[in-house]
Amino acid sequence: MIIFLTIFMMGLGSYAMRAVFILLLSNRRFPPSALKALEYVGPAVMAALVMTMLLSPEGGNAPGVNEWAGLGTAAVVALVTRNHIYVLTLAMAVYWGVGYLV
Amino acid sequence: MLSDSNSLKPNYVRRGFLDALILVIPAIPFALVFGLAVRESGIAIWLGWSSSPIMFSGAAQITLITLLGEGASVAAAATAALVVGARHLFYSFSMAPVMQHQPSWFRWFAPYMLVDQVFALCVGKQDLPAADFRRYYLAAGMTFWVFWMTFTALGLFVGPVLPAGLDITFATPVLFMGLLVTTIDGWQKAVVAVFAMVVTFLLADMPSRSGLLVAALAGLILGLVLERFRR
Repeated sequence: MIIFLTIFMMGLGSYAMRAVFILLLSNRRFPPSALKALEYVGPAVMAALVMTMLLSPEGGNAPGVNEWAGLGTAAVVALVTRNHIYVLTLAMAVYWGVGYLV
Repeated sequence: MLSDSNSLKPNYVRRGFLDALILVIPAIPFALVFGLAVRESGIAIWLGWSSSPIMFSGAAQITLITLLGEGASVAAAATAALVVGARHLFYSFSMAPVMQHQPSWFRWFAPYMLVDQVFALCVGKQDLPAADFRRYYLAAGMTFWVFWMTFTALGLFVGPVLPAGLDITFATPVLFMGLLVTTIDGWQKAVVAVFAMVVTFLLADMPSRSGLLVAALAGLILGLVLERFRR
């Protein structure tokens, strides 16, 4: 129940963020500093999320060699191809391959 | 003849459908990984899937479900998912002018479908006549909606089919790493990303995964500081 309630509230939140300016704004201007700040939200929170997912739920232990290799591959492939299908297949292949070797 | 003049008019429903179809393909891994994340989280699968129609927001859904499954508090998981979705504020802002020419039912309905791909397709179509813009937007949005509902449901059943021993949970950080890299378009953002990772790592022992919020905020502040040094 608490999970459904959370999802429902998140649905309202997602809608609100997409609707707020479309419904309210007509000719007001967004402060440029706020727009700049919004640009940095993506890199900051995505990076924090990636690291959070690498750390075990119990906290503490550092990612292994295979995890670093997989993430490194993902970063390089994303940089070069910008294609998430290549990112997923190549990085997972490296992750499994290195995990098998070490 | 009437039919001739009709056939000369570009069909924006068809065009929106076809343009969205192309963008569906790179989104397939996210839909499947979401399904895997639901399985992994221990949340009832259809309850987890219900976030697809309710939230219709890929990365935020994956964030919410993954963090809940990892034992984060509801508050921490929800805050993180909201922050992940914060870029939609920018979409809403960018779309506001063109929406002023639309009927109010559409202005209330359109935000529900304002996902990354629909924004990317429609932001360049602001010069279309209002009715054509609406057709294009609805066709693209609904195409993407049907895709997302179907493939996140399929993702629920992909995990059990994969051979045992293949650790598939790593797919989520991999895809997020890909997303992260595509948001970086300057050294400042690269520095911010590395900094946020280091802070998250150092704060790993904070209760219910709240370290990530502190790290994201610290990264954001560093970004704004670096922005000052730009000129």
